[in-house]
Amino acid sequence: MKRKLALTLALTLAVGTQVMAAPVSLNVVTSYGGDDGNRANFEAAVAAYEAETGNTINDGSATSNEEWKAKVLTDFETGSEPDVLFFFTNADAEPFVTADKVVSIEEIRAEYPDYAANMKDSMLAVASDGKNYAVPSAGFWENMFVNKSVLDACGIAVPGPDYTWDQFLADCETIKENGYTPIACSLFEVPHYWFEFVVMNNGTIDNQLEVPTVDEEGKLVMDAVAEKWIAGLEDIKALYEAGYFPENTLTATDAETVELFGEGEAAFLIDGSWKVGYFVENHADTLEDYVVSYVPAKGERSASEAIGGISMGYFVTRKAWDDAEKRDAAVSFVSCLTSDEVLSTFVTTEVTALVNGASPAGLNALQQSAADANAAITGVVGAVQDTITGECKGDLFGNIQNVVTGSMTAEEAVESAIKLN
Amino acid sequence: MTSMIYKRKSPLFVFLIPTFLMLAIFLYYPFVQNIINTIMNIGGLGRAADGMNTPWYVNYATLLKDPNMRTAMKNTCILILCTIVFQVGIALILALLVDTIRVGAQFFRTVYFFPIVISATALGLMFNLIFLYKGGMVNQLLLSMGALDSEIKSNGKMIVSWLDWKDQAHFLFTMFMPVMWQYVGFYFVIIVTGLNNINQDLFESASLDGADGWQKTRYITLPMLRNVLCTCLVLAITGALKVFDLPWVMFGAGMPQNQGWLTGTYMYDQTFNKMNVDYGSTIAVLIVVLGVVLSNVANRIFRPSEDY
Repeated sequence: MKRKLALTLALTLAVGTQVMAAPVSLNVVTSYGGDDGNRANFEAAVAAYEAETGNTINDGSATSNEEWKAKVLTDFETGSEPDVLFFFTNADAEPFVTADKVVSIEEIRAEYPDYAANMKDSMLAVASDGKNYAVPSAGFWENMFVNKSVLDACGIAVPGPDYTWDQFLADCETIKENGYTPIACSLFEVPHYWFEFVVMNNGTIDNQLEVPTVDEEGKLVMDAVAEKWIAGLEDIKALYEAGYFPENTLTATDAETVELFGEGEAAFLIDGSWKVGYFVENHADTLEDYVVSYVPAKGERSASEAIGGISMGYFVTRKAWDDAEKRDAAVSFVSCLTSDEVLSTFVTTEVTALVNGASPAGLNALQQSAADANAAITGVVGAVQDTITGECKGDLFGNIQNVVTGSMTAEEAVESAIKLN
Repeated sequence: MTSMIYKRKSPLFVFLIPTFLMLAIFLYYPFVQNIINTIMNIGGLGRAADGMNTPWYVNYATLLKDPNMRTAMKNTCILILCTIVFQVGIALILALLVDTIRVGAQFFRTVYFFPIVISATALGLMFNLIFLYKGGMVNQLLLSMGALDSEIKSNGKMIVSWLDWKDQAHFLFTMFMPVMWQYVGFYFVIIVTGLNNINQDLFESASLDGADGWQKTRYITLPMLRNVLCTCLVLAITGALKVFDLPWVMFGAGMPQNQGWLTGTYMYDQTFNKMNVDYGSTIAVLIVVLGVVLSNVANRIFRPSEDY
């Protein structure tokens, strides 16, 4: 009798341990690090997931920049990639997609049919092999924030969707005369926001994603695309020479110039939807001073045309998928972070791929102004910088400081970068 | 029994092999591989080489033409000079001063050594705040002393002409000063140890002969410290070639306008940010060659004397 009881217990335990998956530890890397506006929401979502599943998340998140992208790609190259990665879905992801280091949604759905079922398939990013790999998170928009208190002090009205480049230049002059900095921007660290819009100002929304080319000898082909890039850089140079950027724009960090705007010392800031959360967290007392407006337009572009889209998503790596212990945890983690409920906490005014849409609640003054601006948007296009290689991008944006100071011409800067594309 | 240890050589090899293996795996192999990488075409970290460069020496030719590399070399040479004059020089003066006091010597040793144990990243962030453009500690101090121009606009707004400590006129000071400050304590401790090893009888007999403090320093202390100072100088020169962390945290990629490169920061930027691995490897080879040449030159110039 005792033998039978012992045998039954042993069998129950053996089966039980197989049925109940033991808690596992997942290595996760995202861009929700540093002062990201959604850092608190991400932490809350991770804590809820850990409490529900008993799994542990080793969070290796950091602030997204070129250095972070390079580090993520290096981790893949050296075999130390995370189990789940929240990363860009554009050309930046191609190295690990083509190396078969991440698992396609199709492959995951073969085993987990409900994976990403709450997403519109038509909005999933398509890799160069025609497959979908990333489950999209919230999208983004880039537009112009204005500090109303500075504009009020200078007697300038908040720009509307018909804002022109000439009006903008006149406003900048007035703001400068009143002792404020017109444009908060670090040309050393983040010239790319301005680059996108000045290129669109010299072209159209339809040809925004076209990239210049070089001939066989490495000389820039001087077509309309190259000309609009050169003209765009010349526009930035003109703003610099007029003294509309901060005096230390070539040595300041992005954090310093954003703070200049936040403290009411600068009037205009081109940034993205992620910056809304930053102001909510760091400048809650003066939130009503900030308004999301429109980037001044010239040529064929309308100020109501902006940069935006869904550029990031969650990847399950091949390493986690092939690990029998981690596979289930990785899939459930991505499903949790991209559920309707969790994504709704990340979203205020951004576009999502959710079938049912996000339902953000209780918008504050800044979020409401962003929603109002987005409602008046007449066209959105992705960022052209997402279509060029990291090396090309690094060279181009690194040389903008040389263009504005005259140590390099705009044409030389474009040619130098495109040679690396 | 004791003599058997020296007669049987095999146990010595047993103890030497682990260290040799470590060196071979983590130093010699990467070093040789790095030299090979300089002639290969490598498109990213960890990626296999896409054949050899055409021509194979293209990276070495680029090295000679690259204006940023020239800037890095120039800045590194200035850093070496500053290291010799300020790091070792100040450390020597501080050590001589601390050696003459009877109370609190241990306190000063701890205080001067303290910056060494703080991470360079933390120091970089701290100095970033000290030299911050708007509202940084130094600029606030200068403003309160009336050293910065300020103007009150008609609307009552005060405009201050803050000093940009990272611009082309000031970046060398802002970059090198923290590096000097961090490592003074290191050489200070080495020199103090050297001072402690000088036989006190020499000073006593000099005193009996009527020598004053300066004469004792000039004719006893400094000659007796010669070998210690030689070691410090060689360490300082080779150490300056490798300086990376503090300048990188404070200045990033070549700020201001590609004038702020050092050999270490330029190598890192090319390898890890620009993904130009083969060119980064070539810069690394140059750093090694410079290190070997300069340390040999320093060894010859400051050859330790056998008299002491």
